[in-house]
Amino acid sequence: MELLDRYLESVRKHLPWQRQDDIVAELRANLESQLEEKEETLGRPLTQAEAEEWIKQLGAPIQVAAGYQPQQYLIGPSLFPTYRYVLKLACSWAMIIGSIVLVVQVFASQNPSASALFGALLSLPSVLITAAAWVTLIFAAIEYAVAQGHLKLPAMCAPSPGWTPSSLPPLGQNVAHGKKPRSLAQAIAEVVFGILFLGWLLLVPQHPWLLMGPGALYLNASPFQLADIWVPIYWCIVALNILQLGWNMQNLVRGTWQKPHPVFNLVLKAVGLIPAILLINAPNHAAFLLKHPAIDHARYGAALDTINLYILRSFQVIIALVVLQLAWDLWQLGRDAYRKREAAIV
Amino acid sequence: MTIAENLFENLRLELRRGCLTLAVLAQLRVERYGYTLRKALADDGLVIDESTLYPLLRRLEAQGLLASEWREEEKRNKRFYRLTPDGERIFAQLLGEWKAINASVTATLNSTTNAANNGAL
Repeated sequence: MELLDRYLESVRKHLPWQRQDDIVAELRANLESQLEEKEETLGRPLTQAEAEEWIKQLGAPIQVAAGYQPQQYLIGPSLFPTYRYVLKLACSWAMIIGSIVLVVQVFASQNPSASALFGALLSLPSVLITAAAWVTLIFAAIEYAVAQGHLKLPAMCAPSPGWTPSSLPPLGQNVAHGKKPRSLAQAIAEVVFGILFLGWLLLVPQHPWLLMGPGALYLNASPFQLADIWVPIYWCIVALNILQLGWNMQNLVRGTWQKPHPVFNLVLKAVGLIPAILLINAPNHAAFLLKHPAIDHARYGAALDTINLYILRSFQVIIALVVLQLAWDLWQLGRDAYRKREAAIV
Repeated sequence: MTIAENLFENLRLELRRGCLTLAVLAQLRVERYGYTLRKALADDGLVIDESTLYPLLRRLEAQGLLASEWREEEKRNKRFYRLTPDGERIFAQLLGEWKAINASVTATLNSTTNAANNGAL
C-alpha cells in the first residue's frame, strides 16, 4: 500500500539513524499484519478514505518516532535536587562576591559617583546568569556522562548519604521571631522614645552641642562650616522621624503593634536613603565649606577636599549596603507572600 | 480538555504505565511478535496504541528483560519477542509486588467504604 509506504518513510526520517532500518522493518511487519486482518474481515481492500483513517489513527510520524528515542534529560530527576542546591549556593556566592568586586571597582575608579555605583549594581544580573549557566552546563555534562554510562552518579548526588536527624540545622531566627509578637510595653517605649528623639532633633539647630558635644565649639572656632545641603537633609530626617512616630502611634491606637508591617518597614528603609542621596549629590560633593574661602583656601583647601571626599565615599558605601539589604528584604517579602498564597491555595 | 480532565488523564496514564509493563511481560512468557501481542492484550481488555507498545518492547529488550529474533512466518519477516531468564525473574518479583499493592488498595477501599457507610448511618 502506497500510503503505508509513505507513512513509514516519514517515520524513518525522525528515527535514530543507527536503528532506522530495523525499526521500520518491524513496524512494517506489524502494520501489514494489521492491514491484512482488516481486509480479511471486510473481504475487500481498504478504500482510500478507510486507509487514511487507519493511518491517521496510528499517530503523526514524528510522535511515533519519538517513542523510539531514548529518554533523555538535560538534568534528570536523580541529579536535579543536587543541581538546585548547588545552583542556589553558586548564585548566592556570585551575588556576594560580585557585589564586593563591583563596589571595590567603583571606588577604585577615578570618578566614583552614585550613578556609577547604580550602573555597577545593574550589571549584577549578568553575574548571576553566568554563574547559573556554568552550574547548569556542568550538571548537564554529568547527566550526559551518567546516561552514556561513562560515569557513575557521584556519591554527593546520592539521596543524602550522610544524613542523620541530629545533623539537622537548628531553627532559624526568622522562625522564632516570626512567632513572637511585639509586646505592648515595647510598642509604648517606641512611641515615647520616638517623641523624645524628635524633640531632641528639633533642638539641634539652635543647640548644636546636643549633637556634637564639645565638637560644636571646635566647629565654631574652625575655618569650616556646614554646607547648605545639610538644611534639606535635616528636614528630611525630621520628616522621616515624624512619619515613623505617626505610624507607631497609629499602630498603638489601633491595637496592631504586635506584628510590624513588613511593607512599611521596607518603605521606611527605602525613604531613609533620601538624606544620604541628597548628601552625595551635593554641589561639588561638598558637605563642608570654608567660612572664608578667599583667606583660608591656600591653607585649608586640601584638608577640606580630603574631608569631603571621605564623607562622600563613606555615604556611597552606606547607600550600596542599604540597597543590597533592601533587595534582600524585598526578595524575602516576595518569598513569604508567595508561600502564603501557595498555602492558601492548598 | 478542562484542567480536571487533563489532571485525570495524566493520573490515568501514570496508573497505567506500570501495569502495561507488567501485562506485556506476562504475555511474553509465550513468544509473540508485536501485532499479535497487541491483539492478545486488547482481547484481555488492555488496549495499547502502536506508538506506545512497540517502543516499549524495544526498551524492555534494551533493559535485558526481553530477547528478540527475526523469523519468517506466513511469508513475512517478523520480530518475535520472549522473556529472558532475567525477565522471568523480574516479572515474578513485579507480579508479587502488584498483587501486594492490589490487596492493600482493595483492603483500604473496603475499610474506608465501610467507615463512610457507618458514618452515613
